[in-house]
Amino acid sequence: MNLLRFGHDAYGERVLNGVSWDLLLPVAFWAGVAVIVGHLIYRALRRGKSGRAHDQ
Amino acid sequence: MTSNSEKLQRHAGIDRLFHWATAVVLTLLLLTSLLPILGVRFAWYGVHWVAGLILTVLILLHIVRALFWQRPGSMLLGAADFSSRGAGKYTLAQKLMHLGWTLAVLVAIVTGLLLLRKAGVSFMTRDPYAFSLPAWGVLTLLHDLSALLSVFLVLVHVYFAILPEKRAYLRAMVSGFISRRDLAAEHDVQRVERGE
Repeated sequence: MNLLRFGHDAYGERVLNGVSWDLLLPVAFWAGVAVIVGHLIYRALRRGKSGRAHDQ
Repeated sequence: MTSNSEKLQRHAGIDRLFHWATAVVLTLLLLTSLLPILGVRFAWYGVHWVAGLILTVLILLHIVRALFWQRPGSMLLGAADFSSRGAGKYTLAQKLMHLGWTLAVLVAIVTGLLLLRKAGVSFMTRDPYAFSLPAWGVLTLLHDLSALLSVFLVLVHVYFAILPEKRAYLRAMVSGFISRRDLAAEHDVQRVERGE
């Protein structure tokens, strides 16, 4: 799988066309989801810790 | 004597209008660019370039307003953002989000305006030879990367906006006001009142 999309000019030379959407669109989406899940885990752990400290 | 429930103005009406107008236009831009890639076929280009020009005007107005009517320093990263003191008007996370949007939107606008020359619009003669093919490729690549960064930022921005403990910021972006208690949870109210 390529990170970039390429085409060809009138002389058959390879030219850059942009990013490879098939690869990078899911990467951008799942990177966002990873930050959200990471923050939810961090938030749950922090709440658990402060809850235990509150009980003592 | 100050009360915790006292309402403090966080965003003026014009800034809230800018925020929500930008949100609508950015959503339109992302939908008109990404839906065709996902296989939804429709005449996207007309809506996309008109929305892009509206975004350009909105950002220009925002820059003028920030420079001449607001305190742009309150959005800049500084050493104080990494100390344990309460934040000024914006937290470190909010400043990083703004920085991310600044990068994505400015790159999208500059490359988008140049790409209009290649694709052609009603008020500009199409000139696909204005740049070389590799240069058009780099402009398209940067435009694409700004769209990908925007996808990431939309997800993270909306997530933090709807988190229960951050919802006071969302209410402030709707009503303009935040309570002193909510502000004091993460901010140093005196720093905010000094305009930091």
